[in-house]
Amino acid sequence: MATRTNLLAAGLIAPLLILVVASFVVPLLVTLYTAVGNPEVRDTLPRTAAAVRAWNGEGLPPEAAFAAIAEELAQAQEGQSIGQLSRRLNFEQPGMRALLLKTARAKADLAPPFKDALVALDARWGEADLWRLVKRNTARATPLFFLRSLDFSLAPDGSIVRAGKDDAVFRALFARTFVISFWVTVLCAVIGYPVAYTLSTLPQRWANAALALVLVPFWTSILVRTAAWFILLQREGPVNALLQSMHVVDAPLTMIFTRFAVYVAMVHVLLPFAILPLYSVMKGIDPVYMRAAASLGAPAWKRFLRVYLPMTMPGVAAGALMVFMLSVGFYITPALVGGPDDQMVSYFIAFFTNQTINWGMAAALACLLLAMTGILVVVARLVVPGFRIGTVGL
Amino acid sequence: MRHQARTLVTALAGAAVLASGAAAARELMVVGFGGPFQDNARIALFQGYAKATGQPVKDDVYNGEMAKVYSMVKSGDVTTDVIMVEAPELIRGCEDGIFEKMDWSVVKKDKFIPGGTTTCGAGAVLWGVTLFYDPAKVQNGPDTYAKLWDVKTYPGKRLLRQSPKTTLEIALLADGVPPADVYKVLATPAGQKRAFDKLDQIKPQLMWWKSGTQPVQLIASGDATYAVGFTGRIVRANDGGAKYPLLWKTLLYSVDYWAVVKGSPNAKEGMKMIEWITDTKPLLALADIYAVSPANKEAAANPALSVKNPGMLSSHVDGGLFIDTEFWVANGEDLEQKFNAWLAK
Repeated sequence: MATRTNLLAAGLIAPLLILVVASFVVPLLVTLYTAVGNPEVRDTLPRTAAAVRAWNGEGLPPEAAFAAIAEELAQAQEGQSIGQLSRRLNFEQPGMRALLLKTARAKADLAPPFKDALVALDARWGEADLWRLVKRNTARATPLFFLRSLDFSLAPDGSIVRAGKDDAVFRALFARTFVISFWVTVLCAVIGYPVAYTLSTLPQRWANAALALVLVPFWTSILVRTAAWFILLQREGPVNALLQSMHVVDAPLTMIFTRFAVYVAMVHVLLPFAILPLYSVMKGIDPVYMRAAASLGAPAWKRFLRVYLPMTMPGVAAGALMVFMLSVGFYITPALVGGPDDQMVSYFIAFFTNQTINWGMAAALACLLLAMTGILVVVARLVVPGFRIGTVGL
Repeated sequence: MRHQARTLVTALAGAAVLASGAAAARELMVVGFGGPFQDNARIALFQGYAKATGQPVKDDVYNGEMAKVYSMVKSGDVTTDVIMVEAPELIRGCEDGIFEKMDWSVVKKDKFIPGGTTTCGAGAVLWGVTLFYDPAKVQNGPDTYAKLWDVKTYPGKRLLRQSPKTTLEIALLADGVPPADVYKVLATPAGQKRAFDKLDQIKPQLMWWKSGTQPVQLIASGDATYAVGFTGRIVRANDGGAKYPLLWKTLLYSVDYWAVVKGSPNAKEGMKMIEWITDTKPLLALADIYAVSPANKEAAANPALSVKNPGMLSSHVDGGLFIDTEFWVANGEDLEQKFNAWLAK
């Protein structure tokens, strides 16, 4: 009997389980795999890979490795598969692409012994570090993408070094992403709280109308709302015109492509996510509590701080969590109204995915963003009182 | 019950046969960057080809994002046949096996301008960027990149592309490097530092654009005073009543190509179509309705064309800088990172 119930339960839960696995677990694993995967050398240069794996890393590899790489590079060029390999090695060691293409093109003119022929073609073939680079990348997995995403890099000899000042981008990028998200969350909570309170105290007829004012923008495309801010904030836009006509400013302010514009547009886009959970929590609070507090002699500020605020904390937490999670992944809004130093991690994920087809970097950045966000949420749950996501059905 | 099931299976199999038959004879799918070029190319080139050959052609728009094309080729479900691509994406995609090699027995190679053909692509149109400014705000504004750096004589914001490509070249040109040496200098760490140092001199005056519509927009809105933008957009703004000067001495230009997506079931038809739409006659028909700079020698040399389109790039490339695609494929990612690090400083 018990087994049958269990089977039934499992059957009922199966669609959800399949959905979670297919839409969350599998993509996550694929992304993680892409972030450490290192198939280029093994796939494109299989015989070279075998030859350098047998080499101990001292001096130069045997003639077989030189012969294999000359042969396989020419094949890869002909078979249109040299791109991934040359881009992968060039990413680790600038200049590799030119060397590989040059060697592939010169194959017809090369004659054994290939060691001498390749070194004569380009002296870099005679450097042990270059062969160590090839050997290192015959491994199935590489830490390179994660290292680069944290502003580290691999030195020619394979040791981990910090990226130079001219190459360091990503730590500042992660910090910026979380700082922007933090302030957007705070602003949404501070602005959303009184709005939700007002909504919850309005008579039902008015409350519905007012709620529509929150919901209509909520249902409008993010792109449209962001584009609207672009028009409002530009130099000869309505906001500047208003400020000038009121003699608040003499010359028009530069607002577009600034951090200010990013905050304004992001807070506007995300505000409903803060207001709606707050509203639903506030609606459920019986006014009798406040009356009880008042009858016991608590002044207004104390009634709010000691009674109302603690009871609405689950709403604050749920709204803040939602806003924060969404801000961390924001792409369109900072890209449209922000300047070059207002871009967030997603901008670079999109850049590596579409522009440079460096899916290892895109995946590593995505994994790190997910991990850091996860850690922050766990910490927030431990530190912030009343931060129990379950209470509002999230 | 079983009988019904069998009928169903037969029907499904029949439908599958029909579907695969339809796939083989499906219309050619052409994908381009959209905008007014494609609106007019649809009439003169795509539908012109359809009319001439009876091969139905459809077209769609993309934004240059290659990820979709890569996953299409990887999954084997290739729904795009002919695609318009920028030069670096073409070279990369060719080495990655994303595009078919051009069949030069179908497409005649000798009709293109120099640089108009690559292993996997046939030249479609030339594009370029030049410096321009708002003459309502500045009379006799800067007409060279060196003068653009003179912030005392020419105050105001300068709008450049948020990308090392074109920006670093412009910095070196402004620093007095002759066009012929730009990529030689930029290939060295010292040359890269020189370019970034030059940009540092006017960094507070710089603004950055990301999409091609922005330069004209942001000059019109007054957010920037000077900009480097696509010539096609400047010409169109002037057609619409603006009076932006076209400073051809500051031209940086390149070519967009037609390519056939690897594994396209219509690869053969795609090649035939590319041969047709890069021919002189259809291009002149296109030029009748839209100002283009074709990568076809004979069409570009047609005097009627340069009269009709004063902004035609091929009449102005002397003294301009041809953007070195191979340089950017080899150094793009590295310089992109340095550029982003520099921007955030």
